Amino acid sequence: MTEKTNPKPEETKIGVYVCYCGGNISDVVDVEKVAEKMREHPNVTIARTDMSMCSDAGQSIVENDIKELGLNRVVIGACAPSLHEHTFRGTVARGGLNPYFFHHVGLREQDSWVHSNNPGGATEKAIRLMYAGIAKANLLKPLDMIKLKAERHALVIGGGVAGLRAAYDIAGRGINVTLIEKTPFLGGRMAQLETVFPTGNNAREDLHSLINEVRTHPLITIHTLSELVNIRGYIGNYDVQIRSQSRGVSGDNAEAALAACTQEVPDDFNYGLTKRKVVYRAYEGCFPSTPAVDWEHYDGKPIEIDGQKVIFENKKKTFDLRIGAIVIATGFQPYEPPRGDYGYDELPEVVTLPQFIRHMGLRDGNVGELTWKGHPVRDIAAIHCVGSRHLAGVHEPQPDGILNNYCSRVCCTATLHQVNELLDEYPNINVYDFYEDIRTYGLEHESYYTEASKKMVRFLRFHGDQRPEVVAAPEGDTHPVLVKGKDYLTNGLEVEVPVDLVILAVGMVPRPVDDLVDMMKIPKGDDRFLLEVHPKLRPVETPVPGIVLAGTAQSPMNIQESCNAASAAAAKVAVLLAAGQVELDPYVANVDLDKCEGTGACIEVCEYEDAIVLETMTVEGKEVQRAVVTPANCSGCGNCVSACPHHAIDVQGWEVAHYEAMVDAITMEVEI
Amino acid sequence: MNETTTTKEPKILILATLSGGYAGADYVGQQHLNYSTNTSILPVRCPSMFSTEFYIKAFEKGIDGIIVMYSGTDSPFKGGPERTAVMVDQTYKKMGELGINIKRLKLAAICTVCKKPFLKQVNEMNETLNEIGFVQDELADQGKDK
Ligand SMILES: Cc1cc2nc3c(=O)[nH]c(=O)nc-3n(C[C@H](O)[C@H](O)[C@H](O)COP(=O)(O)OP(=O)(O)OC[C@H]3O[C@@H](n4cnc5c(N)ncnc54)[C@H](O)[C@@H]3O)c2cc1C
Repeated sequence: MTEKTNPKPEETKIGVYVCYCGGNISDVVDVEKVAEKMREHPNVTIARTDMSMCSDAGQSIVENDIKELGLNRVVIGACAPSLHEHTFRGTVARGGLNPYFFHHVGLREQDSWVHSNNPGGATEKAIRLMYAGIAKANLLKPLDMIKLKAERHALVIGGGVAGLRAAYDIAGRGINVTLIEKTPFLGGRMAQLETVFPTGNNAREDLHSLINEVRTHPLITIHTLSELVNIRGYIGNYDVQIRSQSRGVSGDNAEAALAACTQEVPDDFNYGLTKRKVVYRAYEGCFPSTPAVDWEHYDGKPIEIDGQKVIFENKKKTFDLRIGAIVIATGFQPYEPPRGDYGYDELPEVVTLPQFIRHMGLRDGNVGELTWKGHPVRDIAAIHCVGSRHLAGVHEPQPDGILNNYCSRVCCTATLHQVNELLDEYPNINVYDFYEDIRTYGLEHESYYTEASKKMVRFLRFHGDQRPEVVAAPEGDTHPVLVKGKDYLTNGLEVEVPVDLVILAVGMVPRPVDDLVDMMKIPKGDDRFLLEVHPKLRPVETPVPGIVLAGTAQSPMNIQESCNAASAAAAKVAVLLAAGQVELDPYVANVDLDKCEGTGACIEVCEYEDAIVLETMTVEGKEVQRAVVTPANCSGCGNCVSACPHHAIDVQGWEVAHYEAMVDAITMEVEI
Repeated sequence: MNETTTTKEPKILILATLSGGYAGADYVGQQHLNYSTNTSILPVRCPSMFSTEFYIKAFEKGIDGIIVMYSGTDSPFKGGPERTAVMVDQTYKKMGELGINIKRLKLAAICTVCKKPFLKQVNEMNETLNEIGFVQDELADQGKDK
């Protein structure tokens, strides 16, 4: 099917297409003018414009032109190549051409969207870039994708609801899964919730049914207390190294150790509201049920078990796996306000929403009256957007210098859901809800707000730059704390609300995963969450092939969205690994044996094992050394290209000659 | 393809890595931030492929400034950033010999979300070129000197 011949530059018949991108490009760039200029080029057989080249109709035009006009090269100016280069390679292949006879020019992100203030300049730039594209297209050679065996084995990092869902879905497609969880127990943050919106179900019950499916699945292996420590390779063939810590206790001595342990530390499962032992279970019913030693806090002193003094030892082990694809589901952590912010960590009556949920969970049934630290609670204030939607110049950046300017999305609904549940149980409590905007997004989630209103929650609206203040009430006051602020529902009226408890609806921040980011070379966004290639078109993929994202590691999400993302990530992994082989772009070094003199300069600068070697061959009756590339080992970096004194090596598809031709085109003055 | 010399503006070539500067430039676009149109951004896998000869030829053809936006420590290619730095360094020497102002070539690590550093590099190169003028004038002056 694909054309293998490589016409000389002067014989190329190029089809050029310039996309309006529904106005995204054409609102700034004079797209018709660009096409008109392209028609002047001697190698251009046809130049067309279209409202949307990526649409079925747009692609059909290209396919038909290839067939009917005998095009042997295609250049399309459209959105970023990261979005549709792949799409258009498919188009070109369907037209009957080798897919690498296509060049994509980015005219949206790198032209119309950045030059809206200068349409003339943007049009001229589009012409220049398109000419450069044509110059490259003239020199393109047919290439075949490199086919490599892919390990039908996925690694899922993180055992929260997203990681669990992804693992289960991948295994459901017949692919082996190794799931690693850093802590001793599965479940992540969902295990710390009680009833959850929108179902009203108990979070741990739902979680446990998923954990049960995962732990009994024959294709899933779970390693708790485990982390990725090294990674090499590429999609289909990642060599990963995992380090596991031991639980410290096992079998017979586990329960005895738990009973005998006396060292206590703040319980992170309850966000420090209670204490737990250093030999612990996260909560009753957790999985695995075997307790574990908290190595971070264990003081190393012996514990007396059945008359014997036992010192726990953390026997770490590392093991290697070959993995085809990786799902990162490392989750989030609730924002922790700095000491003193809204009285947090200074006034005992100020809690975060996650702490409040734990407090509710820790109660022993319905005790008739809600209490906080032994005092009855009759008036509560909830304050939204704590740690979210910060404004430059108003709020302090985080210690890393980054401002939390994003909306954490989940907190509005989570807060109102908790408030509604609370009022079902304690209808006499008064709730004052201080908000900036109520964002209970999602199908019918507006009902959380209307229900709260019906339950007589008093809403008070603040401005982002005038957030409420929480102060201790004067001695002898009826309530321990006062929430002061301006209410813009009543024209900025100054209010002072005495309450027994303040709940801070804190936002979400990603868990620190810089080690993974560095190892895998995946990008983070401005907000520190892991970044996908494209929020709409490639929403779970990272730019690193074979590494995908699931859940709140990527952005604030509720459980449903985390599971949706996890299922999407699993589908992506399944597509990649189902065939047991992956196809890689053929962008690897290629030696021109006519020019190679066997100097070995390429090997000296190559950092990839066995990517290039010198082999003995016979040329004109003489035994000579020549460079030979093993494509599977070559990264296509091009170190060798600049090193070769004879210009005998190039990266296929990205040749120096392509760049020289593009520079020629760019330096040509164009008249518009 | 009429050749004209009407609006003469310095030409800036940006060699931007797919894992760094090119994605960074896309990000600048997604944010709809403006910069000058005299920029031509070419995607590269790793600029370690470019020899001194390539850069010099580009200047001789009339590129007034080149910004190599590589991925620095974010590069997916082992040894790529180091070799890029070596090649740029060698090029500086050659530029010195040929009387090409070395400010015309800049190596900058730009990440996928580095919108401010991206704009800073483009603006600074424009300022530099406004100060030092066109490369071809510089090369012509060199010719006269000989
Ligand atoms: C106060 C509050 C209330 C909420 N209420 C609701 C609600 O009512 N309804 C709803 O739908 N959603 C609610 N949510 C959101 C819900 O908690 C999240 O959507 C969900 O827990 C996200 O799951 P996850 O798997 O993405 O992340 P996590 O639960 O954070 O799981 C990530 C897991 O990865 C592990 N991990 C991290 N780094 C590594 C590493 N390097 N190696 C191995 N493992 C690692 C962690 O230990 C953790 O187990 C609420 C959130 C908050 C803060």
